[in-house]
Amino acid sequence: MKLSLRRELGEIERIVAARRALFAASNLPASLAYPVDLATEELFVNMLRHNPQGRGPIALELEAMAGGVRVSLADTDAEPFDPASVPPVDTALPLSERQVGGLGLHLVRQLVGAVHYHHRDRCNTLSFMAREEPADV
Amino acid sequence: MFEVHPDNNGLRLAGRLDAAAAPLAEPHFEALCAAAEVDMAELEYISSAGLGVLLKAHKRLSAQGAGLRLVQVSPHIAEILHFSGFDMLFEVVPAGDSA
Repeated sequence: MKLSLRRELGEIERIVAARRALFAASNLPASLAYPVDLATEELFVNMLRHNPQGRGPIALELEAMAGGVRVSLADTDAEPFDPASVPPVDTALPLSERQVGGLGLHLVRQLVGAVHYHHRDRCNTLSFMAREEPADV
Repeated sequence: MFEVHPDNNGLRLAGRLDAAAAPLAEPHFEALCAAAEVDMAELEYISSAGLGVLLKAHKRLSAQGAGLRLVQVSPHIAEILHFSGFDMLFEVVPAGDSA
């Protein structure tokens, strides 16, 4: 399933609608819905914030695979931005020292693991795989 | 869809608190001026943008000796709060607990 997303937060609603359609058509487990929604939203919002000069759409691809869902987002006119360069958040800090913001990529790593990054010809591509947990045997 | 309703003890949230909804929630949190409960019974989803709204309000109120109490928290939302370390910063009451 492919979508061409405008560079605005209102598009999150279309991302969720597409994810719901894919899950219904492919009988994907409901337990993957939250990780896919959150990781896709956070990466999309990051792309908007790190490339405010960008004008073109962001290409989203959602694909049901054996064992889970693969998601990729591509921004076709962007400076390199590797999420792995963002330092980890210290979630153990006391309230007075916690800063507002910076939790997005931390949550993505917690929920879906590694995010793969590729930059070529000014195109930033981020992808991840949300996997079903092995069934208890 | 996201909804925020003021009630006697604080705010009641419903639906999806994502990056598009966070700016709608923020004025309601900014209007809180004393210790408040945030009822999350009908909150289906929260992302980092929504967590930012909660943390900002909690930091401001805690500096005044008050703070937010998160109540009726579903297991999905509780997991996100845990991954964020918010369960160490806020009082979190799971759905079904009357405490």
